[in-house]
Amino acid sequence: MCVWAEGGRRYMVFEVFLKGTLFFPCEPDRGLVRVHELTPEKAGQLIWVRARIHTSRAKGKQCFLVLRQQQFNVQALVAVGERASKQMVKFAANINKESIVDVEAVVKKVEQTIESCSQQDVELHIERVGLSSALSDHTTDKQTDRHAHGGRTDGRATVNQDTRLDNRVIDLRTTTSQAIFRLQSGVCQLFRDTLTNKGFVEIQTPKIISAASEGGANVFTVSYFKTSAYLAQSPQLYKQMCICADFDKVFCVGPVFRAEDSNTHRHLTEFVGLDIELAFNYHYHEVIESITDTMVQIFKGLRDKFQTEIQTVGKQYPSEPFKFLEPTLRLEYSEGVAMLREAGVEMGDEEDLSTPNEKLLGRLVKEKYDTDFYVLDKYPLAVRPFYTMPDPNDKKYSNSYDMFMRGEEILSGAQRIHDAQLLTERAMHHNIDLEKIKSYIDSFRYGAPPHGGGGIGLERVCMLYLGLHNVRQTSMFPRDPKRLTP
Amino acid sequence: MSLKELSSLEKALGLKKPNKYSTQGDRKVPVLQTINGQALVGLVTIATHLVQEAKRPELLGGSAEHKAVVQQWLEYRVTKVDGCHKEDIKTILKDLNSYLEDKVYLAGNQFTLADTLMYYGIHHVIVDLAVQEKEKYMNMTRWFDHVQHYPSVRHHLPPVVVLRNRVYTSGHH
Repeated sequence: MCVWAEGGRRYMVFEVFLKGTLFFPCEPDRGLVRVHELTPEKAGQLIWVRARIHTSRAKGKQCFLVLRQQQFNVQALVAVGERASKQMVKFAANINKESIVDVEAVVKKVEQTIESCSQQDVELHIERVGLSSALSDHTTDKQTDRHAHGGRTDGRATVNQDTRLDNRVIDLRTTTSQAIFRLQSGVCQLFRDTLTNKGFVEIQTPKIISAASEGGANVFTVSYFKTSAYLAQSPQLYKQMCICADFDKVFCVGPVFRAEDSNTHRHLTEFVGLDIELAFNYHYHEVIESITDTMVQIFKGLRDKFQTEIQTVGKQYPSEPFKFLEPTLRLEYSEGVAMLREAGVEMGDEEDLSTPNEKLLGRLVKEKYDTDFYVLDKYPLAVRPFYTMPDPNDKKYSNSYDMFMRGEEILSGAQRIHDAQLLTERAMHHNIDLEKIKSYIDSFRYGAPPHGGGGIGLERVCMLYLGLHNVRQTSMFPRDPKRLTP
Repeated sequence: MSLKELSSLEKALGLKKPNKYSTQGDRKVPVLQTINGQALVGLVTIATHLVQEAKRPELLGGSAEHKAVVQQWLEYRVTKVDGCHKEDIKTILKDLNSYLEDKVYLAGNQFTLADTLMYYGIHHVIVDLAVQEKEKYMNMTRWFDHVQHYPSVRHHLPPVVVLRNRVYTSGHH
């Protein structure tokens, strides 16, 4: 049902149950102006806007509304006068928040900047207002109020994360959420564009697989007709098979499933993996350079084209802007260990970095080199998976690397073993059942070029780029050991 | 624990002949039998005696006021720091940190026994602090680093690394 208020009279409309037609003037080719286009240039124009009611405040003969459209909002005013009656003002004041309304109004320039809105130099003087999508009866005003406006620390009501995630649809309407996910879309876009320009081919890999790729512990099992199968923990196997199939440089964007019972700020059971694999000519550092250059292009693209989004997120979650160096800083693992020891941390040469040590190292690197993004090269062989190529010059180390943003790991990568014989040896050394990985080893028997790669998690990269603290904020409908809905 | 301190203190003071100590009670309070038959009981008592023996009275303070401040911190060490609970450690560090905001040494403008014994007393806490916590109690860390580099103070204790630059800026994280 659609109700109109216009001028001095209120139309009561009867819904005609003919598909799609409604019994009052509704011109389908009426132009709607986007809220972010409402600027002083349009002052004096009579325009139509469709937006949600963010807030409404009635005061005597006037009603102030804030209309919201994605990340933007604008102040609007209904005042008793020759264009509006008292009933119209009352009608406007009684429309539920979050309802979608169509408004015909004159754009007016304001002298005093409206700090609380994104459109700070104009306001709308409403002549007609119509309700085009109302809230259904059982939702309360309070519920939508809390979610769409909540979570701020500027004295307003805060809503805890679980509640927000349970009511994700309303939570995603907030200006901050809109900005976060637009930025995330940008990351995917930049990833694809940069790699395509470098001559990479996008591939799609299967997610239902017969053998666990990264080791049996953290894998989801699904029933597969009369047997069972697994959900892929990474596209590793298939990326490599594509290299063996002479695709040379490949990337894929797809879900990754990890059945890790970790309830931390940075783990999800399902996330989007952006994976790269490429064959190199002479040295695996070509792979590192390719990946770091891609990351730098992504950072630059975000910095140049998504400033509005970054600022919007920064209003609710302030953080320092993301810094990176060009060319990317690359330290060796032993250098990192030395820096940690200088700061008083005791650890062995071949010991893996614990999470607190990773964070401390990130701090030390930031302080010394002024960058939030760096690569740690030549990890000890003992702490890497069986398919990692050992360092030919020092058997304690390997041709593998991790990349960090703001002190947290975002990518684990390496040169892979491309010789079936060596691969078998390393697998036996790790006590892996050779039967389970027979087809993997076989793919290298037909001649494979030396290659390497790595994968990043989209949600984690967005979280760290924006300086947020929980990966659930950057995952639209997050999945973790305790959450399966929405 | 106190016995090790006392033998380090002897070395620090340059006393040639090490004394023999015994302990009494559950809390292992150190006891020293002096030549003339007297028994000195308690860390501070013995430490003060050693300082007199080594003819270094300045370590106990110059003026009466100065002496009183030294005694106050020695008492603080024995009553508050020794055998305190984990929850109280933070309070102690906070107290020290705010006290040392505008002072180089605990008592007056010179190195005293108070600095030595307080250093021995809180070392086991500081050695386990994370870099971020050490930065939080900036003044206390500064004083600690100063004392541990003092010649001949740090005998039986491993050095604690203190970074020269601030790694944690005022932002969160």
